[in-house]
Amino acid sequence: MHAFAAWLQASSASNTIQSVSWVIPLLQSIHILMIGVVFVSSLMIALRVLGLMRVDQPFEAVWHRFAPWMWSALIVMAGTGLLLVLGEPIREFTALSFWIKMLLLAAGVTSTALYGHALKSGVRVRGSAEFSAGAKAMSILLVALWLSVVFLGRAIAYDREVWGALSLHA
Amino acid sequence: MDVPSIIQAVQASAPAEWMRTSVKAMPIVEAIHVLAAATVFGTIFIVDLRLLGLPDTRRPVTVVCREMLRLTWGAFFVALCAGLLMFAANAHTYYGNTAFRLKMLALLGAGVNMLLFHRLTFRNVAAWDQNAPVPMAARLAGATSMILWVSVIFLARWIGFTKGYDFRIPPNTHINFQF
Repeated sequence: MHAFAAWLQASSASNTIQSVSWVIPLLQSIHILMIGVVFVSSLMIALRVLGLMRVDQPFEAVWHRFAPWMWSALIVMAGTGLLLVLGEPIREFTALSFWIKMLLLAAGVTSTALYGHALKSGVRVRGSAEFSAGAKAMSILLVALWLSVVFLGRAIAYDREVWGALSLHA
Repeated sequence: MDVPSIIQAVQASAPAEWMRTSVKAMPIVEAIHVLAAATVFGTIFIVDLRLLGLPDTRRPVTVVCREMLRLTWGAFFVALCAGLLMFAANAHTYYGNTAFRLKMLALLGAGVNMLLFHRLTFRNVAAWDQNAPVPMAARLAGATSMILWVSVIFLARWIGFTKGYDFRIPPNTHINFQF
């Protein structure tokens, strides 16, 4: 993996990203802005499922209000993330936080898509508009998952400090 | 007490010392700061979009503000506490950093913009709360807020790339590498 990262880091695309001083800060800033949009959109959906926000609106309306923002921001976030990896492959590939983040990100995207589909088809308490306990638990889990993704993203810069002996830098 | 003495006292304080010496403090506090700042941006963005009449004007402005601002203030408080700890750890460096100063200016601008909006434009919100065109002053407040918060995030990230030691060789300095 280190050899692949070193090869990628020596590529001309990677060199371009590294050599222009404002590219990485710009990509990181856009990445953080998109994190804000993705996290808050998923939080809004979760709070609606929990009955804590926009209860006057049907769930479908809340989903249609926030899901397109969430998916669009996720695409931009993935694009800037890929360019950041291309710019600093050794820093990313040799961090345990990066790999756990990728795993949780894949889990988050898949579960949000499946969960959204399940919610729209209605996992409600019988005879009520309220969501089932399982749906509520899942919404809390998904928010926790996004929180972990953000945390791990920042932890990439501090792999040894965060993971100690488990760090891939060690 | 003058500013340099305050900065000195902040950097010498116990929380600052803890931030510098604890291995895990900086990454954890930084992650909390980023997460809280992203939440502040995301929640304010929803209010700003509504002030621009987006996606539509069906949901009352008063309701959107009430729903979002609780979250915004909660996240802002968390970001502020984490930010203060990060500042304390390297108070001298942050204080002299241009990106940091510009970020503080953008934050101040965002605060003044919000204050003006709530004190002036929001007073007659009943006239345009729901299913009505948003007045130009409110649209301007929304657009200004968006620009300022995006600037805050950009400048904040910029600090990480400009903070620290200056490795440039001062002009007219001649270094003799032949020892």
